Amino acid sequence: MAGICCGVVGESKTQAAIEPSSRPARRRRVDVRHLKFVAGVSVPTPEKSRKRQKLEVYDKTASEAARECENALENCKVQEDESVELKGGVSVQVEQDQLVQECPKFGMTSVRGRRRDMEDAVSIHPSFWGQDAQNCTGLHYYGVYDGHGCSHVAMKCKDRMHEIAKEEIERCGQSWEQVMERSFSRMDKEVVEWCNGQWSSNCRCELRTPQCDAVGSTAVVAIVTPEKVVVSNCGDSRAVLCRNGVAIPLSSDHKPDRPDELLRIQAAGGRVIYWDVPRVLGVLAMSRAIGDNYLKPYVISEPEVTTWDRSPEDECLILASDGLWDVVSNDTACGVARMCLNAQAPPSPPVSPETGAGIGAGGESSDKACLDASMLLTKLALARDSADNVSVVVVDLRNK
Amino acid sequence: MASSPANHEGFHKFFESWLTEQNQHLQELISASRNNQHTDDSDQILCPLVERVVSHYHNYYHAKSLSTRDNILSMLTPPWRSLLEDAFLWVGGWRPSVAFHLLYSKSGLQFESGLADLIRGLSTGDLGDMSHEQLCRVDELQRKTIREEREMTENMARIQETVADSKMVELSEAATEEGGGGDDLGERVESALKHKEEGLAEMLLKADDLRLRTLKGVLDILTPMQCVHFLIAAAELHLRLHKWGKNKDEQQHHV
Repeated sequence: MAGICCGVVGESKTQAAIEPSSRPARRRRVDVRHLKFVAGVSVPTPEKSRKRQKLEVYDKTASEAARECENALENCKVQEDESVELKGGVSVQVEQDQLVQECPKFGMTSVRGRRRDMEDAVSIHPSFWGQDAQNCTGLHYYGVYDGHGCSHVAMKCKDRMHEIAKEEIERCGQSWEQVMERSFSRMDKEVVEWCNGQWSSNCRCELRTPQCDAVGSTAVVAIVTPEKVVVSNCGDSRAVLCRNGVAIPLSSDHKPDRPDELLRIQAAGGRVIYWDVPRVLGVLAMSRAIGDNYLKPYVISEPEVTTWDRSPEDECLILASDGLWDVVSNDTACGVARMCLNAQAPPSPPVSPETGAGIGAGGESSDKACLDASMLLTKLALARDSADNVSVVVVDLRNK
Repeated sequence: MASSPANHEGFHKFFESWLTEQNQHLQELISASRNNQHTDDSDQILCPLVERVVSHYHNYYHAKSLSTRDNILSMLTPPWRSLLEDAFLWVGGWRPSVAFHLLYSKSGLQFESGLADLIRGLSTGDLGDMSHEQLCRVDELQRKTIREEREMTENMARIQETVADSKMVELSEAATEEGGGGDDLGERVESALKHKEEGLAEMLLKADDLRLRTLKGVLDILTPMQCVHFLIAAAELHLRLHKWGKNKDEQQHHV
């Protein structure tokens, strides 16, 4: 199953203290980029959420995580000044006297909508890296994967991509570009290997080669640090930043008719053929993807990685599959999301006893705002007759 | 309330009066949706109405099941339906997954018209105002429904393929040799077909069960006011499609 997940995590009671980066250690052999962050409170990752599971479980997990966020905050003790250096050059500084919690609020909605099959997958891992150092909440991971052919590649990405990224951060700690390029490349290899080795599955494609080779997934991943938003994209899902009311696309869709992509495909010996829309070899309507082994080397899994400095004017980050973007413009999406986040009206009363599964996350209406934003965007896509699965993640980037 | 038909000939008549009643319910639902928008005790008025409409659907499927046992063939291709309706039938009725498209379409219309309020966090109480949790439950129900629908489609395929099993081919060959066949052949044919008809009847009953369960499943997720809106949309689409189809059939007839 590729069920639906939803959740809210929040409770950012104290401001994240972001220090200017200290000098990187000179002795580093390679061009080491410091992923430095300061933290004071540990926020457990909802580990279960990486598994395929039903909404109730995820909901519970998300709100539990939020509660634990809160508990952790209350139980927080003053930390000793401590600097931890991890293998490979990623340095972590634990600050004294700082009640720091960087656990951005988020909301997520993912539905099959008017499609009979669910091929979208969403993975959200607050503090997916940094928790090992006991008191760090540094990097937050948000990924949207939109599968095609079958759902198994998207599900694999959901299960594994953040783990691979975590390993790569710890292993090399090099530039974000390298970390993410290696992660996507490893993910792609895993998918291909897994596909060739597995013979029992409930997949629609039944994992038969060559059918299995014709299965792939988009991947748009945002890693949020106290200072930056790192977006890695492969395919036609999209990340959009809402900054001071303006929609800024953080990724550029990989469509086969994008001039540079078209040139790349042709240089590799491939062709783009128009069949309703431009398609690689007349088949796939995107020029990059995880999986799709049979379309290599024309379709590649290499992501475009962009790093953005966070600004006090940042409002929210929206990650979504093309089920949203096909019918809702970046500007409209940002407009809807920021209005939800800024909504002054009290949250409407639950319409059924079970309603508002996400409200328990700290009890603040602002937590619900992200969920509402993701839900309203999803409903807008459905109202506009989106024929695809719709998955929307909204991350609150405001510093309060 | 239309009484259950004693036999299959009566089902057509039953269906016609059931449609008349559905039309009456539709009027009641529409006026309830208009009169109870902002009243606190609206649930007390709406719930009994919703229950009444649901039991009307129950009544329909109960009557249909009785006739199915009597004459599966006319229930699978109901002559009282128009050709247009026929074209959209799945195992002798509406396709269960259509319920979700109906919900999303109606919800979408109400969502767009209430968008300004909804963004400000104000409640509109209709289908445009479905909560996140409701949306998740609808999605889950949709997943289960599509899975069951697929399983039944597969089962239906298995039954339909038996039209060319050895017995049938042997009997059709025997009919050539006997030049029309005697009483004995006629009995053997009847016996062979009876078995298949039983299989088809079982399929139709299961399909109707899924249709009714899907309808009730959706209603279970909705608030009473949302139920009213959904039932309005369902009745409107059902009645209009029937009418448009009948009109088309008539035009075809006159050409």
